[in-house]
Amino acid sequence: MSEIVIDSLYKKYKPGLFKKPVEAVVGLSLRVPTGTVYGLVGPNGAGKSTTIRMLLNLIHPDKGEVRIADKSVSAATNADFLHAVGYLPENPYLYDHLTLRELLRFGGQVCGMSAEQIAARIEALTRQTGIAYALKRRLHTFSKGMRQRAGLCFALLHDPELVILDEPMSGLDPLGRKMVCDLILHLKQQGKTVFFCSHILSDTERLCDRIAILDQGRLVREFEAADLRAFRAGERCLEDEFVAAVEGVH
Amino acid sequence: MCWRRGGINALMLLVVVPLYLGLSSASWEQRAQVRSTAPPGYTMPAAFSRVLAMGYQGLLSDYEFLRAATFYGDRSVKRQQMSAEDWDFFAYSLDVVTDLDPYFLDPYILGEGLLTWDTQRYAAANALLLKGMQYRTWDWQLPYYVGFNYFYFLGDSATGSTYLMQAAEIPGSPAYLKTLAARLAYYGGKSQTALLFLQQMLAETHSEALKQHMGKRLLALQGAVQIEEALQQYRDTNGADPHELSDLVRSGYLEELPQDPYGGQWTLLQNGRVYSTSKFVDAKPETK
Amino acid sequence: MLQRVWALALVTGKEGIRDRSLFGILLFALFVLGLNVAVAGFFMRDLGKVTVDMNLAALSFAGLLLVFFIGINLMAKDIDKKTIHLVLSKPFSRGEYIVGKYFGLVLLVLSTLTLLLLFSSATVAGVHAMYPAYFGGFTWSVYFWAVAFIALQLALLCAIVVFFSAITTSSFITLIFSVASYLVGVTLEEVLFYLKSQAAAGEVVASQTLRSVLEVVAWLVPNFAAFDLKTEAAHGLALEPVRLLTTAGYGCGYILVLLWLATLIFRRREFN
Repeated sequence: MSEIVIDSLYKKYKPGLFKKPVEAVVGLSLRVPTGTVYGLVGPNGAGKSTTIRMLLNLIHPDKGEVRIADKSVSAATNADFLHAVGYLPENPYLYDHLTLRELLRFGGQVCGMSAEQIAARIEALTRQTGIAYALKRRLHTFSKGMRQRAGLCFALLHDPELVILDEPMSGLDPLGRKMVCDLILHLKQQGKTVFFCSHILSDTERLCDRIAILDQGRLVREFEAADLRAFRAGERCLEDEFVAAVEGVH
Repeated sequence: MCWRRGGINALMLLVVVPLYLGLSSASWEQRAQVRSTAPPGYTMPAAFSRVLAMGYQGLLSDYEFLRAATFYGDRSVKRQQMSAEDWDFFAYSLDVVTDLDPYFLDPYILGEGLLTWDTQRYAAANALLLKGMQYRTWDWQLPYYVGFNYFYFLGDSATGSTYLMQAAEIPGSPAYLKTLAARLAYYGGKSQTALLFLQQMLAETHSEALKQHMGKRLLALQGAVQIEEALQQYRDTNGADPHELSDLVRSGYLEELPQDPYGGQWTLLQNGRVYSTSKFVDAKPETK
Repeated sequence: MLQRVWALALVTGKEGIRDRSLFGILLFALFVLGLNVAVAGFFMRDLGKVTVDMNLAALSFAGLLLVFFIGINLMAKDIDKKTIHLVLSKPFSRGEYIVGKYFGLVLLVLSTLTLLLLFSSATVAGVHAMYPAYFGGFTWSVYFWAVAFIALQLALLCAIVVFFSAITTSSFITLIFSVASYLVGVTLEEVLFYLKSQAAAGEVVASQTLRSVLEVVAWLVPNFAAFDLKTEAAHGLALEPVRLLTTAGYGCGYILVLLWLATLIFRRREFN
């Protein structure tokens, strides 16, 4: 059973009133099996974030379908499917004047968690991500790295089955990156599905079960388990193959 | 560069700042001059004011009232005469104020106080008060003032009495109103009635200027009443009016003719009423 | 569903209350409230009216500043800074989001107004104590009703802000349209009745088309003058229950319709 199914997705949008429409996603199809870690890589403007937004119903595709846990997302009449989804956007901007605890409580309340559950999860997650000391602080005092960690906690608070991360490593120092890698592996151990896009090929190579390369809205290459074993063993180089795949299209 | 910054600071402190202070006070003096000779000013017609007030009509009425009151107060303090245009502006302002908030009491009181005594615009004062009566239906003061105006200024005791009765009907009005109305209806324009009326008004007034105004008038009236009572005694005894008022003193009905605080000479009118050449009004100041 | 809406409302309200601009608005309002004690002395008789005028003006104007600056910000920042992506990644329907944000705005307005009302009542009581003879018609009940309807006016304005925020992307456009709607709403009644009276008096000041246009506008924009009980409060005039009920119903109806329209439009919106 696949957690995510993307079927022939098309999306065009106009960057300005009098500009020509840009094709953000062109005929994208991929499957993310349940319990795997799926990495989406590609140069800037490849359509990674657009794809993720279509997963969350933030934007509607022109053509094609997105299904999560075998239920259509684009045709969804309500947002209930999001109960099982956790999302971390790129450069998360949080409510300035709330404290971290208030933000996380908010996240838990809207997912229908009880006060005790929320308290327990806040405790565990903030300790795991290393920002437990800042629970009482207002979010506008947070550094970029702290904001990234707070966003992670917010995304994972309700223990979702599917975790979608947009550039989770951005803004983090090496310790932070290690924390995120450990977190993703931990999630995998728990049987969750993780779908993330990143620029950092080394981490992607290490964590993922499958990797897709996106370029100019198209899926140009997909690497499966065997490929990844080869990358990890050092027999092949992901970076070289990435560059080749991307340059090849141009 | 340390010395350059120091130089700029010195320039500012020693030259620019004093210059500013000097120019600032000069500018304020200029404004004072400009304002003293400026025309009375303009009050926007009520229709526009109401729209532009954008929901704050009450507040705007307060502001416009203050403007009108200080305009008069300014002229008064400087002992400047209010020209006809000045009074036009003043009367119109009060009209606009009461269009913005017809329940506002102050413009009616000020209008009654000034438009009648100072500039003899009795019709305007009455019109203002009648407008107020449509809204302030619980206020006995407004019909009372209308009644007073008709009686005292316009010499129409009958209408005056009607309005006084109207005031007397309103709950909360003073007890003496009914009797006063009745007196007015019966005795008409005798000075004794006017005296009573005025004494009551004086008791009700809070403005010092108006009190002085009325106090003077009261004195004049008391003198007139004195003369009238002597006159009545003369008539009762001799069956006819004396040739002139000094006859009353000569015949011993009066010790002496009382002083007219307005500096006029006492006269006897055709209808037998005692009056004064001063007409109970302050003499106008000499024009240069 | 209610839990989600309430959670969002609470978060929005907190965000607004902790905005430092609020401090400035409160200071301004308190200044006017204090000023009214001094200003009252300039008048002769109707001190009660003047005090009430200034108090209600301070409250309503502070409310306006609140909605136009902090309120619009609360809506616009979400979209501008993409916080809305975070919020909408939770199981919020678009309608729940709109309603939640709306109640957050209303929460902000109500809490500020309550605080100001406390101070305002203190100054009114103070001036009353200083000049008891000149407070003729004043009654506390009418005063509080006037404040309640000021709150309803502001709730209407919040709905307008939410509506325009749902449509446009720029917070500036939202500000312009909301201010324009407010200005039209407060002056509409005066203009309409003035034109009607002029027409009745035989002096036709404006063409029939203009008057028809204004009639249409009267359906689209709320008549803010209907919620204005300032004169009644200033002079302690009686308020009929029917009038209060009709006005309140009118206001609530408008809010419901506007929020519904906002939801419909917001559902189609895409967030890049």
